[in-house]
Amino acid sequence: MKIKLLSKKILVALWALSLAIIVAGAFVVGFVGFNAAPDASDAASVEVSGYMSQGGLRENIEAFCADKLAADGYTVREINHYESYSFMDDVLEFVLAGDPAADMREYAAGLQTALDASGIQGLDTAAVTVSGNNAVAAPAYTYVWRTAVAVGVVAVVLFVYVAVRFRLGMGLLSLAALAHDVLLTLALAALLRIPAGMTLAGVAVFAALLSAFLQTGVFGRMRSDIRAAEKEGGKNALPARDAVALSLQTGAKGALAAVVGLAAVCVVLAAVGLFTGIGLTFFALAALVAAAVCGYSALALSPAAFACIKEKSDARRAEKAKYNYASEKKRAKTAKDAPAAEEAAEAEAE
Amino acid sequence: MGKKKSVVLIVLATIVLAALLFMSVTPAIPIGGTPDRLESFLSTADLGTDLGGGFRTVYYPEGVISQPEYALIESQYAEAEAAGDTAGLEDPADYVRVGGVYLAAELCEDGAPTQEFQDDFAAALRGVKQRFENKGYAGYSVKVRDGYSIEVCIPYPEEVDGTQGETPGTVFDTFSYAGGLYFSGSAITDTKGLDAWTKDDVKGAGVADAGDSGYAVVLHFTSQGREKMATLTSQMVTDEQTTLYVYVGTNQALAIGGISAEMDESTLYVTGNFGTRAAAQTVAALIDSVLDEENVFDIGLTYSQVYTFAPTLGEHAALAVAVSVGALFAVLLAVALILYKGMGLAHVYGFLTYILLFVLCIALLGGIVIDMAGVLAIVLSAAVMTSFNWYAFRNIRTEFSTGKTLTAAIKSGYKKSLALTIDAHIVLAAAALAVYLIATGPARIAGLIFLIGTLLSAACTLAVTRFFLYVFLAQPKNKIAFCSFRREEAEDED
Repeated sequence: MKIKLLSKKILVALWALSLAIIVAGAFVVGFVGFNAAPDASDAASVEVSGYMSQGGLRENIEAFCADKLAADGYTVREINHYESYSFMDDVLEFVLAGDPAADMREYAAGLQTALDASGIQGLDTAAVTVSGNNAVAAPAYTYVWRTAVAVGVVAVVLFVYVAVRFRLGMGLLSLAALAHDVLLTLALAALLRIPAGMTLAGVAVFAALLSAFLQTGVFGRMRSDIRAAEKEGGKNALPARDAVALSLQTGAKGALAAVVGLAAVCVVLAAVGLFTGIGLTFFALAALVAAAVCGYSALALSPAAFACIKEKSDARRAEKAKYNYASEKKRAKTAKDAPAAEEAAEAEAE
Repeated sequence: MGKKKSVVLIVLATIVLAALLFMSVTPAIPIGGTPDRLESFLSTADLGTDLGGGFRTVYYPEGVISQPEYALIESQYAEAEAAGDTAGLEDPADYVRVGGVYLAAELCEDGAPTQEFQDDFAAALRGVKQRFENKGYAGYSVKVRDGYSIEVCIPYPEEVDGTQGETPGTVFDTFSYAGGLYFSGSAITDTKGLDAWTKDDVKGAGVADAGDSGYAVVLHFTSQGREKMATLTSQMVTDEQTTLYVYVGTNQALAIGGISAEMDESTLYVTGNFGTRAAAQTVAALIDSVLDEENVFDIGLTYSQVYTFAPTLGEHAALAVAVSVGALFAVLLAVALILYKGMGLAHVYGFLTYILLFVLCIALLGGIVIDMAGVLAIVLSAAVMTSFNWYAFRNIRTEFSTGKTLTAAIKSGYKKSLALTIDAHIVLAAAALAVYLIATGPARIAGLIFLIGTLLSAACTLAVTRFFLYVFLAQPKNKIAFCSFRREEAEDED
């Protein structure tokens, strides 16, 4: 299999596409926000609380209330069960879809009446109360900005190490790729309306670390391959694009296997989430997006961009070699030093 | 390595690995005749709210009651009124319905909360939110409920049943303290006339390991704070007071005994009954929050009940995730065996050692909580470990194909992969360390898990797998076939 690098035009088009997606994602986040996950979203709810631990009573109350809410046209987004830590009380929270500011107090009073008249066996009507509530999530700003700063520092660490240890161009591209990967992951999560809570920051960190791993792996391999080819080839070294493509051809397998393995984990977790809780599916989908974006950038965008940089630097080097500035300088210096050297020789002879 | 030595090492390694892995990942086993159970290492790991559930409570500001509470007051009052004796009972007319809660009439004006109460509640919300953020929980939520109450969900605190640990009640109580930060040589019952210490005096509070004394809360003073502390402790010595109290409002947060001389230091370590890091962290988070005057509130917050809740990703999400990830690891090991045969076997032993050490670190190190971000960190670190083992194997294969002997190929294959393996592990360890030191909450814990994973990956890739490869290579007669290599024999015709 022969790998063909992206042409300059396609590369520019893909960077532009990524930029467009990031900008679109930023607009969506700015104007509509992320699709908030249940733990981070505002919602109206109906809460049934009190003594209901007796065998099967809670399940009966839950079924009755869920049926009543459905019959009255409400969509229950999730049912949460809270058990008192020190008493015998339970709470059943029916979180409703739709207007989070909806006033459910009147409805709760009606539901209380219906529950009292329901005749559910074992229900002590005086011990169970129904209330209508509204919850507004308080955003964790410190958490978000500190995670953002941490990702920024990861980018700088990657840039410094790769630029110093490998090549400056590789360092710059690693930095750009990491920013691209994290921002594109977040933008796609916003555009695809993947429910996002605090865990999305975890996915962003995952994207940053995965990007650092793939970029280091691909560029590290490329650097040693190119260096070896230059040593062996001398003047007959391969052109930049061919050298990068050849290195990618042998070195991409490892990175690709890692991305495929991680994507497989995400797919399996997404499937598991369908049975345990849909939140896991959404989290795994966000992670899958991160893995795909990082793989695409490390295996397609970065090598092609590096080939362009290398082409230019090779051309500049060739240009320098052609005019042999170094030799001219040397010659000029030798010419300048010549009279002094002659004088010294004469003096020595005398 | 001799064959006998190799056999002994393989048998020993297999027994030790099998036994420790069994103890690490098997479900709890009852110990016959006793009520105790043998817990696996993995089952002792702390879980975030998404995989392990947690505790929930609702804070009500002073003068605010919930709908059920109001309904109770109403019914009790109606009964008493019918009996003609309402003495000592709260009158429901003293409450005004605002949003989904009931406010004491004195907190309202024309049926709406007064501006002063609204400002106080906003400050309380800021303060409480900051405290839970400072605590760095892996998954928590703070919500405004019904306009004027605060709902909080947290993961299970470390060592809920431990005598020196912290209960959810301790956390919820501590984070409800109203008022600013005060240092005093005597108990504070009223903060009127006292000057609160702010970030001009104290830079921040942290936690440090105090050896046998458990953990300590560390207070870092500014130069101004250092001077104030010196003046205060010098006055205490004059007044023969030996205990320095740290208060938040009128609630005692810390006490430092044995003050016998002026304290003129920029850092103060306070040890106490902090048996766990989490317990010390709660007090540090509280103190940190009140240093910023924006987060200081004056209204009292109360909660009536603490509830437990199931994992937010589903009742059995943790087990399902563990089984899925375990199964995928098993598939990965099978692929390694198919692709690299003998070298794959070395990878299997290296990987199992890595997993075992990882589980031990997660179970034994404090402050590690597994949530989904942590699971991703574990999987990514396993991918790093596998990638670099396979990279070394490919290099060995390439070197062998150039005509080198197997031993020379292994040596030179590892040598060839050494630089990139070290480079990548350094970059990843530095990145994980940065995330651990800078981020908070789930991201910070994911950073810590990835840091541990990267260090273990480096050790297992560079040393453990290579060691096992040498041990296994001592066994087969045809070492080349054992490694799944093929050499094209060039017959010399002459």
